[in-house]
Amino acid sequence: MISLAGRDILQAWGKFVFTGVGLGLLIGVTLSMAGIYRGMIDDAKVLLDNSSADLWVVQKDTLGPYAEPSSIYQDTWRGIRGMTGVARTANVTYLTMQVRQGERDVRAMIAGIAAGEPGTPGWPPYLVAGRQITRSHYEAVADIASGFKLGDRLQIRRNHYTVVGLTRRMVSSGGDPMIFIPLKDAQEAQFLKDNDAILQSRRRTEANPAFNKPGSPDLLDAVIHSQTTNTYVNAVLVQIEEGYSHDDVAESIRRWKQLTVYTRAQMEEILVGKLIATSAKQIGMFLVILSMVSAAIVAFIIYTLTLGKIREIAVLKLIGTRNRTIAGMILQQAIALGVIGFVVGKIVATLFMAPIFPKYVLLEPLDSIFGFIAVVLICVLSSVIAIYAALKVDPAEAIG
Amino acid sequence: MKHLPLQGRTLALLAVIVPLLVLFIYVGLRSGPLAPVAVTVVTVESRALTPALFGIGTVEARYTYKIGPTFAGRVKRLEVHVGDQVKAGQVLGEMDPVDLDDKLRSHEAAFRRAQAALREADARQTYAQTQAGRYKKLFAAGSTSAETLYTKQQELTIAAAGFSAAQEDLARVRSDQDGLVTQQKNLRLIAPHAGVVASRDAELGTTVVAGQAVLEIIDPESLWVNVRFDQISASGLARELPAHIVLRSRGDQILNGRVLRVELKADAVTEEMLAKVVFDNIPQPLPPLGELAEVTVDLPALPAAPTISNAAIRRDGDSVGVWQIVDDELRLTPVTLGVSDLNGYVQVKKGIKEGDRIVLYSEKALTSSSRIDVVDHIPGVSR
Amino acid sequence: MSEKGIRIEGLSKRYGKGDTAVDALKHVDMQVAPGEVVGLIGPSGSGKSTLLKCLGAVINPSAGRMTLGNEVIFDNGWKVRDLRALRRDKIGYVFQAPYLIPFLDVTDNVALLPMLRGISNSEARAKALELLTALDVQHRARAMPSKLSGGEQQRVAIARGLVNQPPVILADEPTAALDSPRAMAVIKILNEMARKFETAIIVVTHDEKIIPTFKRIYHIRDGVTHEETGEGRGFE
Repeated sequence: MISLAGRDILQAWGKFVFTGVGLGLLIGVTLSMAGIYRGMIDDAKVLLDNSSADLWVVQKDTLGPYAEPSSIYQDTWRGIRGMTGVARTANVTYLTMQVRQGERDVRAMIAGIAAGEPGTPGWPPYLVAGRQITRSHYEAVADIASGFKLGDRLQIRRNHYTVVGLTRRMVSSGGDPMIFIPLKDAQEAQFLKDNDAILQSRRRTEANPAFNKPGSPDLLDAVIHSQTTNTYVNAVLVQIEEGYSHDDVAESIRRWKQLTVYTRAQMEEILVGKLIATSAKQIGMFLVILSMVSAAIVAFIIYTLTLGKIREIAVLKLIGTRNRTIAGMILQQAIALGVIGFVVGKIVATLFMAPIFPKYVLLEPLDSIFGFIAVVLICVLSSVIAIYAALKVDPAEAIG
Repeated sequence: MKHLPLQGRTLALLAVIVPLLVLFIYVGLRSGPLAPVAVTVVTVESRALTPALFGIGTVEARYTYKIGPTFAGRVKRLEVHVGDQVKAGQVLGEMDPVDLDDKLRSHEAAFRRAQAALREADARQTYAQTQAGRYKKLFAAGSTSAETLYTKQQELTIAAAGFSAAQEDLARVRSDQDGLVTQQKNLRLIAPHAGVVASRDAELGTTVVAGQAVLEIIDPESLWVNVRFDQISASGLARELPAHIVLRSRGDQILNGRVLRVELKADAVTEEMLAKVVFDNIPQPLPPLGELAEVTVDLPALPAAPTISNAAIRRDGDSVGVWQIVDDELRLTPVTLGVSDLNGYVQVKKGIKEGDRIVLYSEKALTSSSRIDVVDHIPGVSR
Repeated sequence: MSEKGIRIEGLSKRYGKGDTAVDALKHVDMQVAPGEVVGLIGPSGSGKSTLLKCLGAVINPSAGRMTLGNEVIFDNGWKVRDLRALRRDKIGYVFQAPYLIPFLDVTDNVALLPMLRGISNSEARAKALELLTALDVQHRARAMPSKLSGGEQQRVAIARGLVNQPPVILADEPTAALDSPRAMAVIKILNEMARKFETAIIVVTHDEKIIPTFKRIYHIRDGVTHEETGEGRGFE
């Protein structure tokens, strides 16, 4: 027995492949949607991984430092460092803002990392170019997603920083590239506004007679100085010694220090469950809609292909072809269409969509396998309508 | 008989399908989580490091003289402006005494009054002395009672005391007057030392209280930079180390200097050490006080030793390590690090040696089971 | 009746029920001997399509009896369980339009029928080639149907109808679209094949060119047939 489906496809292969490619573009978009969803979850995970922390200590009763603003005194780490099970601590600040370079500016998350050596919590765990920060001020390590190159001079608030190192996949949970600068500079950036704002605040202080007593000439200077120093950080990152349970250490910090402490699992839940939940839902919905549209289109294509063969199907039935052979022909064509569509879709998603999309697109092999199974199932189900139509054809039609 | 129908068509179809499948397999294996991780590899070299310390500071004057009156007054005149050079002893201005002249006149009157009181007391004393002598003679003659004698002697004692009091009172008033006269001399603001006027804090007619500065004079030869170094990276900071200073407003000029002293008191809140760095040659024009400067202090050069870039360092539990390539396999080797310089090179004391190959940059975080792909530079990094 | 040949007795077909019922066929009697080619002539609406459909086992007659060779296939109800197999094995079809499968080449169009019976591809193709040679279209064996002329296509259709050597062939206006020489060629082939394979062939036609060639003709009108002797002229 020859393959009727194969012969039919072969005879009009151009049209068939073309249709497959069209379907493939739709499947590619669907796969990319799934990739965007995974990418968002990965952004959150990567942010937590890259800070190399086991625990995050933040202001009491906040969801910080990523989901909510959090401020704690910069010497809080001293109390934590001495607790049992704590191996290393480091202060850290985070601020999302525009960073200027030459004519353009880029939205980035500025991370202030504590002075020390590579391996300190908060420092980028690996680089793709350049080196880590060595000077205590005015150096920066930027993520390549920001578009900055080694040697670029960035302007963050009032200071200029030289890019000395580049990283990859260091992003905030929202997908903004991260830029690492020394903690003291970051504290200043977070607190000190631009020169106009500082002048305004000085003038107000000078105009306040409580601070500007003629009998105490140094009082005004002291007050202005205290207004322009920042002694806060957003969080303390803690690394735990081997052999200690993260939950136990977290609980002891909570109890004795009256601070809010999150373990890695809890931070993930906050980021994924709260911060990106809405976006994730939106993308999930798009995924479902696209899948339904794909199913409908495949059904429509197969049905149209079958309708175009009604006469041949009648003749085949007349000359004694089994119903199941005819059904098989339609089914094979539907699956062939699905396979071509999937292959094209996967190629389009990986080579075209993923590199150009502004957010990170993570195409996991397991998703592709599920996608393939889904495509085949959709094709099989969609062909049911066409098969039904084919089986209803009356062989008497052939005789007319 | 086996025949292949439609050979032309089949070939054309295969010409489309086969490349598509090849591309598909390529995409599946080379991208996404299945792909190998691109890394760059370097060989550990021996290098002589010149470590350095980096801090930022502000330009300050070692000696700042704040000239002002010692009592409340109004500024009468100022002879100098900001930026003027002054010599030691030069009169810079004068205060308006306000009520000083009246006070002096009052003291003068009080002085004369004290003098008159002294004369009065003197007269009393003389009288009491005469009386006491006379009644003594009378008592000796028996013409008067002992009680009267005692009374007169008592009056003499009182008058003598009154005389002493009047004398002291005169002295006191005189001292007060002298004091006011000295203060009158202080009406003039005099430069205690040669220098440059840094600021005029009060203008003509302004009332100032005692101790408030009217003029600030700094000695330009005594400009230094008050530098702060992070404690954690300031080991080796000591006096007499050479330093390079870059002023913020003159970013292209590197000025030479040296560390004058390392402060005994560090900043506990900001966790910084303080040091004073002086210029070898004071830059002209003078940098304004308060200008920011970036200071690099050179530490003594070290002999050659295996060094790695700090980009290769990874944390491994309690220690730090590097990913080493041994027989084409990846291994996290713990290392003990030594001194580092400002260019990111770190000495390795233990763990790896010269000639070992280590991973410098990687596309992703590595684990011991990662498949790696050694490249020249990481894709995606623009040159 | 011998092993082949077809015989119909009292075949009736009624569409609808009650007052709106239409009797398309009314007690039709017909018989065709093996190797015989008879004509079936009638105007449109006469019921000849219905008769062909009954003979072709694609609709259910209302009453009557149909015998194919020795086997009674219908006696007021189908006596054969698998009508599809009946059509596949026992009945050959030749239409006015060739109705070749456009995505199979000429050989496979003909070979498809034996393949449907389970015969191996190579053997089926061999049989097909035999018939195509007999019908003088073997030089087009690998071409696609759309590339053939009308006459060639018709010959391929005839080959398809004959390849399983069915006892009966139903031909519906096989020459309507052909010109005189080709029409005669087709009817000549039909007669030759009928003799060679002892097949009974019923040709529905109103083509004046070939009517004189029939020895026996059935006329049908309003669902009723009557037999007539034809001219039996030769094929020029």
